[in-house]
Amino acid sequence: MAVTGQLASVRRDLRERDVRVVITALVVAVATVATISLFASLLQRALVTSASAFLAADRQLEAEHGRPIPPDWYQEANRRGISTASMVEFSTMVFGGDRFQLVAVKAVSDAYPLRGQIEMQVGEGAERELVSRGPRPGEVWLNPRLMRLLALDMGDSLEVGNQALTVSGLLLREPDGGFSMAALAPRIMMHADDVPATGVVREGSRVEYVALFAGEEPELEAFHRWLEPQFHPSHEWKSVQDGETLSRSLQRAERFLLLGGSLAVLLAAVAVAVASREYALGQRDTVALLKTLGLRGGAISRLYLRRLALWGVAGCAGGLLLALPIYYGLAQVLSEVLERPVAAELDWRALLPALVTALVALFGFAYPPVRRLRQVAAMRVLRSEPGESGRRAWPDILLAGLAVFGLVWFYAGELAMVTALLGGVAALLAVLALVAWLMVLGLRHLRGGGTAWRLALVALYRHRQSTLSQVSVFAMTIMLACTLILVRSSLLDDWQAQLPENAPNHFLINIAPEKVDAVADFWEQRGHPLAQLYPMVRGRLTELNGQPVKEAVSKDERINALNRELNLTWMSELPADNALVQGQWFEAGARDGVSVEYELAERLGLKIGDRLGFTIGSDTLSETVTSIRTVQWESMQPNFYMAFPPDGQLAAMPSTWITSFYLPTSEKALLNDFARAFPTVSVLEVDHIIERIRAIVQQVTQAVEAILALILAAALVVMAAVVSATLRDRQREGALLRTLGGQQRLLVRSTMLEFALLGLVAGILGALAAEAAVWALQLRMFEGEFQWHWSVMLPVPLVSAALLSLFGRWQLAPVLKVSPMLLLRRLE
Amino acid sequence: MPDQTPTDMPSSQSMLKVEALSHRVDLGDDTLTILQEVSFDIARGESVAIVGRSGSGKTTLLGLLAGLDSPSSGRVVLDGEEISALGEDERAALRARRVGFVFQSFQLLPALSALENVMLPLELAGHEAPEAQATELLERVGLGQRLRHTPRQLSGGEQQRVAIARAFASNPAVLFADEPTGNLDNRTGKTISDLLMALNQEQGTTLVMVTHDEQLAQRCQRRLSIDAGRVTEPEEQH
Repeated sequence: MAVTGQLASVRRDLRERDVRVVITALVVAVATVATISLFASLLQRALVTSASAFLAADRQLEAEHGRPIPPDWYQEANRRGISTASMVEFSTMVFGGDRFQLVAVKAVSDAYPLRGQIEMQVGEGAERELVSRGPRPGEVWLNPRLMRLLALDMGDSLEVGNQALTVSGLLLREPDGGFSMAALAPRIMMHADDVPATGVVREGSRVEYVALFAGEEPELEAFHRWLEPQFHPSHEWKSVQDGETLSRSLQRAERFLLLGGSLAVLLAAVAVAVASREYALGQRDTVALLKTLGLRGGAISRLYLRRLALWGVAGCAGGLLLALPIYYGLAQVLSEVLERPVAAELDWRALLPALVTALVALFGFAYPPVRRLRQVAAMRVLRSEPGESGRRAWPDILLAGLAVFGLVWFYAGELAMVTALLGGVAALLAVLALVAWLMVLGLRHLRGGGTAWRLALVALYRHRQSTLSQVSVFAMTIMLACTLILVRSSLLDDWQAQLPENAPNHFLINIAPEKVDAVADFWEQRGHPLAQLYPMVRGRLTELNGQPVKEAVSKDERINALNRELNLTWMSELPADNALVQGQWFEAGARDGVSVEYELAERLGLKIGDRLGFTIGSDTLSETVTSIRTVQWESMQPNFYMAFPPDGQLAAMPSTWITSFYLPTSEKALLNDFARAFPTVSVLEVDHIIERIRAIVQQVTQAVEAILALILAAALVVMAAVVSATLRDRQREGALLRTLGGQQRLLVRSTMLEFALLGLVAGILGALAAEAAVWALQLRMFEGEFQWHWSVMLPVPLVSAALLSLFGRWQLAPVLKVSPMLLLRRLE
Repeated sequence: MPDQTPTDMPSSQSMLKVEALSHRVDLGDDTLTILQEVSFDIARGESVAIVGRSGSGKTTLLGLLAGLDSPSSGRVVLDGEEISALGEDERAALRARRVGFVFQSFQLLPALSALENVMLPLELAGHEAPEAQATELLERVGLGQRLRHTPRQLSGGEQQRVAIARAFASNPAVLFADEPTGNLDNRTGKTISDLLMALNQEQGTTLVMVTHDEQLAQRCQRRLSIDAGRVTEPEEQH
């Protein structure tokens, strides 16, 4: 058939209401999935870009032990179209006026930062600026506290080794201000070209060289593959995904978007299934007639398959046309929210899920009832046969189930999530069928009340089959929406819980054992008591069960913890935010054993009873793993991979102490008094990092809200599809009721009541099912505990009842406008 | 009925009074006149057949008599109430109290059982014991064993019997029937018309019936013939 013929055929099909509903459902499905996946891909890029700002690049290569990064590595990167920058980090004493101070120096090249911006001021009280470059050669920027400590002003001279630099700015925030334990002292930033003249950095001095790379993902990956064989153990390759705190947030955001996408897929499938079933029911007489005219089953199947294919094309085209403006609108909103806007490119690969969805929705959901049309008996032209038996519907349900599973799996790519989601749906449907049936049975006895009330109850009971399926579909939609709301709020609560309002934002490091009490007293007296102090010994994990650890673990595993010194501690009690996964915590007076952090233990394949060897300075230490525990790295408390008993061998090693505490910005001046009282103790200010994490959480929240709104819109369209699928019966019934003497007001009231009852029951069931699904999700994904969400549970059934009763009123409007005379003529 | 002829009856005895009834449909450029200045009376308890060719205006007339639509001009008085002057809801209320319907295509609700279909008008009228009365009526029309069957499990004749039971359920003063045997074979049609006439007789209902079935028309007391929108020859049959 020529294109015009196909178009004419679609036009002809469109005259049928059910076909319009199927195509509309497809349009909505494709539009929703396309918008969500386009938007998700945009968001991914935005988040990665935003997160890259955390590294000041897309990738960082760190080299410890004073080995500069070979220049040809930079050249190779540039040759591959990757931009580069470099930094050198070291600690040294600086002199300003007549004072001196130990500082952490960051010397950066011209191109720094490749991602993100530096926040600085050109003087106390000057405007805060965001700039994309560091100090020029001959200049230096100082942390404001250091400025005060050294009593310096703008334009004064600061001596770094042999080189005098002019103070030209206050350094407020670095994009890669993430903390490592090497960053012990207040920060100064200078230009990398000035480093040789200082004479501070020599071969073998304690210096960290960092190369920064930014570029397209495939090039960066290829470059990493080229680079990897040349790495020395002191080299550490860092990507956004490796940043502990942020990557967790990103992973959750990613999961959430996928979850949203999967829910949209389910909604789409429901809409198509409902509408196509109605279509097939309406086609039975036509098929019977065609059979009477001599058409065989095969030909009928082909006829309907061709129609389905045409609808698919129409649905995809319409869906994409609808998705693009929505996507660009959302991208616009997002770019207003984001600190660093991302161009709203059209990622054609992101459209694939939408097209696959259309195909699966058509053939997994629309096709089965249509396929069964070939079984319609020609006899039907003479006499209506009883309805289809449930037995014949089973293969359809199985096929639809498999289609949903495959589709959601394809979309989310994660079995646990798919299982939880579909498990929730299956459980919901089972419970729904049962409860809805009980409800219908119960309603039989509820015949009191006014006429409208009675009619509503009677209508629910009379249409028990469609009541049952409507309650199921509504409840499922409500469940999806509630799950989304609950998951969203519990995700955010989760994030907020990790970063409570007064999360520690300062670390005190390098506290000598004999100063511990004095330091604690200092802050106690000033109203900021220190929660917990931990001893810290730096050491490397070198042996596993007598073997060198790098041989003992798989070469494929890239374990940063093995490449650097670990912070080892001893403690008598398990910290509140740690949780024991395996083994026993140290008993009082225990001398032996070590407790290992869970993820490291997983990656090293450690189990209880393994023997670990550590090298600490010139000493070695060997201990047996006695427990494995989880650690909340995001908690901003000191956390340790390895913990030893307080009376063990580690306690005999030379140690320093560490703690963290919350200090509001308004009291930052106290740090100056502290630095004067305890010049050897280092203060690490992480309040800027916390601020950044909060900002990112905020962005993700906004994106999530946008997606939530989209899915809720999809849910409403599904509801419309279901309601309009029963419209024909309702019109007929309405006309008849009016002919038999029912008044318009009565019809309106009874319909609104009927829908309100439907909505109430569906709301209760949906909210309950959502609780169950969320619990399953949290258990699997977020390791949360079950709790009732009353704030969602209580209003949802009421809102659902109100919404559906208005919806029913709206649906009934066409029936009320038509004269019963005309209705009767049309129906006859 | 007494010996008086219907046309002689005083208007208080009249169940339906039609005066200069016209109905026109606006077709944009043109106006189609379906009924033109129709006047007649139908007495309480009388049975009247409206006959005529397809498209002559029979169904429109029936719809106007029952208050399903409003006429362009003229009056219809049903049991003393001017139905053509009432609003749609008032007409519906009047139908609930006074009117029963039997349709050519039965118009049973497919989702409902026979019993529930018959209960429908009883429930609309706020009847106390709709189920008992509906059951009794279905037994009267010989479907006592098929109360729980849905329309699609019933033959055409059985469906029409359900429709008749429904029509008589609210104890109507007037029964309107639109080609009640039109979708049935001769024998079934005969059974149905027997039933209809018997119930009508029994309940003293006024029967107004549109039909092509000459035999059925013959069984009515009176025949109104309609042609091109005019009632041309009201005549007495019995």
